[in-house]
Amino acid sequence: MSTDLVKESSADRAVRFERDALAFTDQLYAAALRYTKNPHDAKDLVQDTYLKAFASFHQFEPGTNLKAWLYRVLTTTFINTYRKDQRRPQISAGEVEDWQLAEAASHTSDQGKSAEVEALENLPDSDIKRALQDIPEEFRIAVYLADVEGFSYKEIADIVGVPAGTVMSRLHRGRKQLRERLTEYAKELGYTTEKNSGAKP
Amino acid sequence: MTFNFALGCNEVLNSFVLLIEGNIEEPQMNMIEVHIATCPACEAELAHEQAMRQLMQEALRRSCNEKAPEDLHDAIYRQIHGQMTGAFTEVVTQYSMTEISIEIDEFGQVEHREVTIEHTEEIRFLNPPTDDSDDVDGQGR
Repeated sequence: MSTDLVKESSADRAVRFERDALAFTDQLYAAALRYTKNPHDAKDLVQDTYLKAFASFHQFEPGTNLKAWLYRVLTTTFINTYRKDQRRPQISAGEVEDWQLAEAASHTSDQGKSAEVEALENLPDSDIKRALQDIPEEFRIAVYLADVEGFSYKEIADIVGVPAGTVMSRLHRGRKQLRERLTEYAKELGYTTEKNSGAKP
Repeated sequence: MTFNFALGCNEVLNSFVLLIEGNIEEPQMNMIEVHIATCPACEAELAHEQAMRQLMQEALRRSCNEKAPEDLHDAIYRQIHGQMTGAFTEVVTQYSMTEISIEIDEFGQVEHREVTIEHTEEIRFLNPPTDDSDDVDGQGR
């Protein structure tokens, strides 16, 4: 007698949800903090996410990526609920291509390079988070999903609901803006991108 | 140098974003590789860009790792359990009213009067989702 074909009971599904999905609470909370920028809304967002996820867990296909699915619920909930009334200027329609246009690029000096590395290694976590918080929402979400969570372009495209080309563009611009901000903070903290030859004895 | 590179430094530097992502097609990739192999400045720049990408990622990962507060874990757990239990229970509410001893003496004074309305809620489990639900027949093996 095989039980393979027996449809999972809702009780079993609930037990499976509790076992598999609740393990992501910390991760989703950290992401929600980046999305909403404050602990109170982040808590609400994660709670809403789990409610919605639980209610539609029967639509989740076992064996596929649960983490990506939960992030999709989180991101969609955030976009639909938490900024419904916030009219934001949309990123320009040409965002997919314009960043690929050649910029005047130049080589940087060795000192500039090592100062940049040193600054990034020494910046406190609070500055990293502040910089991330300061870049536009679409960029922030893309960078977070790619660089912290390690999702691929395709996964991010599914999670956010935009084409992969748009994800690439947002990632590129987001990383660039983030780096510019971090360099600014580093300067404020006294790490300069020019060689600091006047070191004290 | 008298070499005439197919690609200039500017084009190569601008390709780094795509290069680091592994998004460059064969023929162009070869041209970039040729340039980098013969241009130490571009080679150093690429190494730096790769290192920066790595460092940015590490910086983000180390700073964005907050733990959810305990009360959030609890709230979610309760919420899910509420939903789970809700699916398998029914609440039976009963009201009953009791009137006890009303006595009026000859002078018309009320000696004792008591009215109670009782309200009970009983949660009945229809098919509780327990771990030994396999054994639901109660027959064991």
